[in-house]
Amino acid sequence: MADVAHLPGVWEQIRLVAGLRWRILGNNLRKKHNQWDLIGMIFAGVFAGLIVIGLCFAFYFGAYAFLSGGREAWIALLFWGIFLFWQLFPIFTAGFGAGFEFRTLLRFPLSLRAFYVIGLAYGLADFAALASICWLTAIIIGATVANPAVLPAMLLISALFLLMNITLERTIGSWLERILARRRAREMFFALFILFAVSVQFINPLVQRYGRTAQPWVRQVVPYLAVFPPSLAGRAIAGAAQHNFMDTFLGAAGISAYMLLFSVFLWLRFATQYRGEELSESAAPARAVARPVSRTAEKGDALRLLTPQVAAVLRKEFRYLTRNSFAFFLLIMPPIFVLLFTTQFAGRHPTAMKHPISNEFFFPGMMAYLLLILMAPAYNSFAYDGKGIQTFFTAPVSFREVFLGKNLLQAGMLVFELTLSMVAFSYLVGLPSLPVLLATLAAIIFNVTGQMTIANWSSLSFPRKLNFGQMRGQRQSGMAVLVSFGTQILLGGISAPILFMSRWTGDKWLPAEVFAFLAAAAVAGYSSSLNPLAVLAEKKKESLIDALSR
Amino acid sequence: MTDAAIVTQKLTRRFGNLTAVDGVDLTVAAGQFFGFLGPNGAGKSTTIKMLTGLLAPSSGRAELLGLDFAAHPVEVKRQIGVVPEGMGLFERLTGAEYLQFVGRMYGLDRPTTQRRSEELLDFMQLSDRPKTLIADYSHGMQKKLALAAAVIHGPRILFLDEPFEGVDALAAGALKALLGRMTERGVTIFLTSHVLEIVERLCSHVAIIHKGRLVAQGSLDELRAGISGEEGSKTTLEQIFLSIVGQDGGQRPQLEELSWLM
Repeated sequence: MADVAHLPGVWEQIRLVAGLRWRILGNNLRKKHNQWDLIGMIFAGVFAGLIVIGLCFAFYFGAYAFLSGGREAWIALLFWGIFLFWQLFPIFTAGFGAGFEFRTLLRFPLSLRAFYVIGLAYGLADFAALASICWLTAIIIGATVANPAVLPAMLLISALFLLMNITLERTIGSWLERILARRRAREMFFALFILFAVSVQFINPLVQRYGRTAQPWVRQVVPYLAVFPPSLAGRAIAGAAQHNFMDTFLGAAGISAYMLLFSVFLWLRFATQYRGEELSESAAPARAVARPVSRTAEKGDALRLLTPQVAAVLRKEFRYLTRNSFAFFLLIMPPIFVLLFTTQFAGRHPTAMKHPISNEFFFPGMMAYLLLILMAPAYNSFAYDGKGIQTFFTAPVSFREVFLGKNLLQAGMLVFELTLSMVAFSYLVGLPSLPVLLATLAAIIFNVTGQMTIANWSSLSFPRKLNFGQMRGQRQSGMAVLVSFGTQILLGGISAPILFMSRWTGDKWLPAEVFAFLAAAAVAGYSSSLNPLAVLAEKKKESLIDALSR
Repeated sequence: MTDAAIVTQKLTRRFGNLTAVDGVDLTVAAGQFFGFLGPNGAGKSTTIKMLTGLLAPSSGRAELLGLDFAAHPVEVKRQIGVVPEGMGLFERLTGAEYLQFVGRMYGLDRPTTQRRSEELLDFMQLSDRPKTLIADYSHGMQKKLALAAAVIHGPRILFLDEPFEGVDALAAGALKALLGRMTERGVTIFLTSHVLEIVERLCSHVAIIHKGRLVAQGSLDELRAGISGEEGSKTTLEQIFLSIVGQDGGQRPQLEELSWLM
């Protein structure tokens, strides 16, 4: 019989959970290398606090203006703002992962009721909830200053609105926790997040192009929004201001009904968790299937010109590239950026400028920008290898071969991406003159081989483990980022004046000739760097394995 | 006299002020099934890492199959197989892809790599999920795959760090039989395990490391005789281990301190 004197009450358990979250945060910051996290958190905290306080004023003045200006119903817009932020912000940050899995509390002797209450209280500790409560308070004050008679209604509606939002947010959150427990789901979520981030770039051009034609459609949709909680809250407050208490009652009843509905969903979700739920990552046992005889080995080897070790690393890198949602989306970015920037800055009718930028400048600039994006991962090229890095050290290979395999894949990916972008570019606005085209190509070779040499050194010297399909804590080493920027600034600083040389000298072919020479020198430098890098890898193996096997 | 597969001389590894492995002199004969034991933090994994090229010694030397590791690392690595601590798998490959990768890294040609991969996956009962990534394998499945990768090139010495941890009884039985057959064919197996019964059943020779120092080495019979003072003693390995490692007192938790549990 366990020697338990008494079970702690719900409030004591809430206090314990809050203390646990605080302790986890503190301990994370105490870890080695996490001083930057602390500094980053302080900056982010100050920045977020300023935004929240700034928006508090906006909500205050909004509520005041609507109620004192006879536009009481418009207060619904403020509730909509809070509602969308409260529900969407946690979803967009969910991929960063929770530092603490709420369901792990189930190992302790909690009743379902206590689990539910702690779950709701847990939702109040989120940034979105805290910020929203500040804004709701600002609305209450603004509305009361404008019309003191609405205070009771404001308090009632705000309390119901708050409870409804917490319940909905926890319902969505607990479903997300269930869904994101699977690796594939996390990776898909991550991919969707990046897709969303890329799509945001198109909002401005789309609004410019279709904004006017979409207005009637938007007007048709607006009335249907009246049945949702923020509109009901607005209706209730407007009713109180206009002494139409039936509207206040209906609004309050509507929000209560939503709260009840979400509470039932949340209770059912928590009850499933409480009973025990299988969230294992491991594949379920499968029936053995007869495997057809593999023909792969009989086919000709496409990489037969390479040594087996280099070919093996190249194949492995290709598989990792295709299975990494972040790297995959990095591949679709260059053509999208070409499309985006050329329509805005080049061609006959650029959307962002009166006069288009000349192709002679825009093309090399665009290629340099793409290199900036595509070369960044090379500065921490072992990031996704994790514990597998040990295989490179236990196998009878030199790191010369490992780097060759990794760099070949990087080079192949660059060739593919730049070719695709050039095709898109030439289709949209046409290619520049032949001397500029050749000078750009030679500059790319110079730049890429130069960067690869330094990036290989950076990968050995400043390794940082990154996980597939995860955003939380996925930060490159600060030094690797500095080296990357420094190298790109240096090479850009060398390249830019050379590209302008033709203008100063009047010799159109001079930049191409200079870059061809520099490219040959960079290739020779890269080739002669591989053996010293292999020696450096042996020296750095402990720190490399330690950093990547954590 | 059998040729030595592994010889270390004053092998030492320091981490700052801590000496994790302190002047270890070890000799393992070719074809021996050798158990390397010690309590947590004794220096077992550090020793294995130095013997497999994952860690450079601070001083001393290691010779494998007559070759100095520091002077001939690639030649030595070609002849050894390793299941390191943490297994060292590339988790975003499938089991078959990983075995093919490892086979090619050891210089096997593609048809041989392909054939051996399929045979090893069948033997380890991992062939029914050809598209499952290693990241989605259970711990036991990952362990079996790491073992398969360690033997794909037919090594002459096999280093196994806790090879049976998390492996089910059925697979463990098959693995033990495989390892036994390998030693019969002259392969040297260097194994660490916390399960002393496994070591006692499999290994012919044992060494015990404690606080970085080698405190015992020899055949099981020699160690038994050393403890009980008579030949043919029935002393178990656990008793030998506890008598050697527990000698310095204060190591074993005192149950009296947990009187409230009893």
